[in-house]
Amino acid sequence: MDNYDVVVLGGGPAGLAAALASNECGGKTLIIEREKLLGGILKQCIHDGFGLIRFKEKLSGPEYSGRYIDMVLEKDIDVETSTFVTEIKKQGEEFLITIVNSKYGVKKIKAKAIVLANGCRERTWRQVFIQGTRPAGIYTAGTAQYFVNMMGYLPFKKCVVLGSGDIGLIMARRLTLEGCTVEGVYEAKSTPSGLSRNIAQCLDDFSIPLHLSHTVTRVFGDDRLNAVEISKVDEKMIPIPGTEKIVECDGLVLSVGLIPENEIAESLNIKIDRKTKGPFVDQNLMTGLEGVFSCGNALHVNDLVDYVSESGEIAGENAAKYAKEHKDRKLIRMNADSKFLYAVPQYIDINSLNQKVIAYFRSRDIRDKMTVKLLYDGQVIFSRKYNKLKPPEMERITFDISKLNLKDNGEINIVMEG
Amino acid sequence: MKSLNKIKSAINKNVNGEVYLKEWHKSIILEGKVKSWDDFIKAGQIAANKGYKGVVNNMEVEGFKSPPIKAPSIKDGTLDGKKVDVLVIGGGVTGCSILRELSKWDISCLLVDKEEDVAMHASSRNDGMVHPGIEPKPGSNKARFNVEGNRLYTQIAKELDVPLNRTGSLVLFDKKILKAAFPIVDARRKKNGLDKIKLVSQSEIKKYEPYADDNVGGALFFPSTAITCPYKMTVAYGENAVMNGAEISLNTIVLSIHKEEDKIVYVETNRGKIFPKVVIDAAGCFADVIADMAGDKFFSIHPRKGEILILDKKKGRLLHSVLAKPSLTIVKGNTKGGGIVKTVDGNILVGPDAYEQPLREDFSTHMENINAIANKHFPILPGINKGDIITYFAGVRAATYEEDFIVEKSEYVENLVYAAGIQSPGFASAPAISREIERITIDVLSKMMKVKKKENFNPYRKGIPDLSLMNENDRSELIKKRPDYGVIVCRCEEISKGEIIDAINSPIPTRTIDGIKRRVRPGMGRCQGGFCMPQVLNIISKEKGIDPTKVTKKGEGSNILVSETKQSK
Ligand SMILES: Cc1cc2nc3c(=O)[nH]c(=O)nc-3n(C[C@H](O)[C@H](O)[C@H](O)COP(=O)(O)OP(=O)(O)OC[C@H]3O[C@@H](n4cnc5c(N)ncnc54)[C@H](O)[C@@H]3O)c2cc1C
Ligand SMILES: Cc1cc2nc3c(=O)[nH]c(=O)nc-3n(C[C@H](O)[C@H](O)[C@H](O)COP(=O)(O)OP(=O)(O)OC[C@H]3O[C@@H](n4cnc5c(N)ncnc54)[C@H](O)[C@@H]3O)c2cc1C
Repeated sequence: MDNYDVVVLGGGPAGLAAALASNECGGKTLIIEREKLLGGILKQCIHDGFGLIRFKEKLSGPEYSGRYIDMVLEKDIDVETSTFVTEIKKQGEEFLITIVNSKYGVKKIKAKAIVLANGCRERTWRQVFIQGTRPAGIYTAGTAQYFVNMMGYLPFKKCVVLGSGDIGLIMARRLTLEGCTVEGVYEAKSTPSGLSRNIAQCLDDFSIPLHLSHTVTRVFGDDRLNAVEISKVDEKMIPIPGTEKIVECDGLVLSVGLIPENEIAESLNIKIDRKTKGPFVDQNLMTGLEGVFSCGNALHVNDLVDYVSESGEIAGENAAKYAKEHKDRKLIRMNADSKFLYAVPQYIDINSLNQKVIAYFRSRDIRDKMTVKLLYDGQVIFSRKYNKLKPPEMERITFDISKLNLKDNGEINIVMEG
Repeated sequence: MKSLNKIKSAINKNVNGEVYLKEWHKSIILEGKVKSWDDFIKAGQIAANKGYKGVVNNMEVEGFKSPPIKAPSIKDGTLDGKKVDVLVIGGGVTGCSILRELSKWDISCLLVDKEEDVAMHASSRNDGMVHPGIEPKPGSNKARFNVEGNRLYTQIAKELDVPLNRTGSLVLFDKKILKAAFPIVDARRKKNGLDKIKLVSQSEIKKYEPYADDNVGGALFFPSTAITCPYKMTVAYGENAVMNGAEISLNTIVLSIHKEEDKIVYVETNRGKIFPKVVIDAAGCFADVIADMAGDKFFSIHPRKGEILILDKKKGRLLHSVLAKPSLTIVKGNTKGGGIVKTVDGNILVGPDAYEQPLREDFSTHMENINAIANKHFPILPGINKGDIITYFAGVRAATYEEDFIVEKSEYVENLVYAAGIQSPGFASAPAISREIERITIDVLSKMMKVKKKENFNPYRKGIPDLSLMNENDRSELIKKRPDYGVIVCRCEEISKGEIIDAINSPIPTRTIDGIKRRVRPGMGRCQGGFCMPQVLNIISKEKGIDPTKVTKKGEGSNILVSETKQSK
């Protein structure tokens, strides 16, 4: 049986960064990736815009992940691709991982620590309750992207995009460039979900209309999609009867949200935060289960890969440290108030040597001129002014807890004030 | 037998429109024109079970024109002039099970279905529940074949290597009803010949289903209820038939039937004329259309639709068997109103509902029905909620006005046999219906030729191995032999490339995304194929040597892709 200090599940940008950091800290590291190639979702993101923070350059997805893959391959990091994890069990202090691949059949691997970097999956048209027939021609943006960018095939001639998430916007442009007519992008919310730069560069530049407060309620066509029904929605995003209109098209692209993949975490009974849909973690990105770390889109959905890599590094470094030695944690809560969609981490380990906390949050609504404060025991321990906060744009803050003398019965509250 | 005049006045009193009645071949024919589909159904129901053989509803409905049957566009002569001993029309569970039972005999059998695959209609669009047989009226065909089919399924599932769980089912009752219900149900149980049922007290409910809502009076437990996978079972029946020499021709639609005297001589299809000695009508919702082609329409099918929700496997642990709570208002003619079922694959199904509508091939779903199903059934298993729904689907039941199965030889056409009106519990009844049809067919055939059993009939069919269920050593061994079994393509359901290739090359080969899904499940999990569908498409394209743009979801016209991109051109 092979023994590792750290086993990283997932070879996307989060997993690659985690493996590098773990290796850097002297951890014997293995990456397990179920696809043939490393790189995760970036393999198919051939547009540019990656790495502005990290490399101060505009890279394409494959260029960005390529840099990390090269670094990984230079280091003494083991990689198993086309390998599927069927089970993980905690045995005493260690983890027993069962993998399946063509090379070994079924094989067991031991690890002292695990980094979950599984990324996320897309919500489907059924999960947003679109009704009607079941024709071909309805795909999530990621699937459509795979067809176009990885396989070189067009899935539609004329399509409607539902959801103004970034992938949807990018696909609207990509499909247009490939000669497909994009009739419009429809969004149930009254504000777009994607980054402003993507609205400008993907829709405005190509005169693709964006219809806010609209959704697709029904699809038509027995074999291949031939039309969709669009309805206006009210503030609660409920379709308003009588507002239906029919748009003829042979394609529907769904960009209606990403869901962190945490089936493995759940199988280990790791508690999941309903707000992030990722595990609860402390500032070391350790989950509720000692020795298991989470990062990247598996932890919460990121819009910038630079932060994904950063979270991978935090998780990888701390996993390697944990594998070497660890003491008991003392966790206190970090609570974000209801003006936030969420904040990560949700806990601070006051026993940890890592006293520099990196936190990410998203505002629930669009708000101007806000101050975000961290309160401990009635005292303001951090404060920052924001001109504008928007749900699509994740914010990052750092703060130092070394001088705060945090007590195990205390808690940190994150508040937003106008 | 009630007089036609009396029936006519009852109808005209209750429905909007002008209705005329006549008697033909001992059946009632309804003609005229009514206002709405409800009126159309009501008229048929009033005329039913008045001592005539059947009700044929040929009325028009104002403003409604029945769409033509969906037909494959392909036209060739591959079957032209083909002579067979038996022709089975329809590749649902009824047709496929009949084909399998007939393949025991040393005769030539051909099954045709108009779709790209078997099990494309009702047989893949149901709950997969093998009912105990308590609901059907004592003495009905339904009661007989349901109870018998239920018993036969253990053996059939073993022979055909299809998973079947005999979990029993728990029916919850409010306190007031329970006391009254038990003696009635128990009396019917005895009449229908079922095994003992158990009265479960409120405090015992959790022993059967720990997560069920036990805020009720109690429950009845039916031990013989079983669950299996309806499309896998249909495919398995078909495959075993093919292994034993029977033939299946898909994308083949029956267009007309030509008789001389009272005997069918040939059956016209889009692939040519077939000359069968005996024809079996197992055409589901189109069984009456086939009967009409043979000049023998003594019944009508009125399509009764139902929708079903599928929940994530994650919630599978909350349920062990089948759970239902009948509502007080049982709508006449409709099933008891569905419930919650744990499938053999670990998902939870909720539904179905049942409603009359005019379309025989409309498998669309509707928000109000999805909501109604959720609102009705979710409360009996409090751990589930709408966020657990991964998808939903619809099916259409082939109901007759008599609300019973028609399993018999035609009275007027010498060589035509019916397995018609096979609505719920038609899936549960298939093993028994098929044996009865086998008996009838062999009887008819024996008058025309010498018929004997095959010496080498093999009742056993081995399914595609499900590697995720194997022990580790066996799995490793198999992967060593076929490395493709080690390449996981579908992450949610843990399906390997090897299993997908096996499905493509199985005895009833398939080359569609849905065909593979029905056989080995890739794309049936929570991501609904988001990740694996392009891979499955690539595997099909490679294995079959067809261009990716030619790969379809479910047959002709449902191509996944439209063209190459500019760049790859
Ligand atoms: C279409 C699209 C456009 C984007 N555009 C931009 C942009 O312009 N700029 C930017 O900065 N960011 C962008 N992003 C965001 C960012 O790049 C992603 O959020 C980031 O790639 C997430 O990285 P990850 O490693 O967490 O997940 P992923 O890249 O999804 O990687 C996860 C990997 O884990 C593997 N895996 C999962 N489970 C297992 C398991 N059990 N065993 C083994 N392997 C497993 C998967 O196969 C996958 O390879 C975009 C994202 C998308 C999807
Ligand atoms: C929502 C729902 C839930 C149900 N739940 C259950 C359950 O839990 N248990 C149970 O026992 N039963 C259940 N049923 C009933 C069960 O599904 C059916 O009784 C059974 O599947 C009928 O099988 P069949 O082979 O007779 O018909 P089908 O499966 O409909 O097959 C008929 C076939 O005939 C073909 N055909 C028609 N016309 C032609 C033509 N002209 N030429 C060539 N081919 C033709 C069609 O293409 C079709 O494939 C349910 C039904 C529904 C709709």
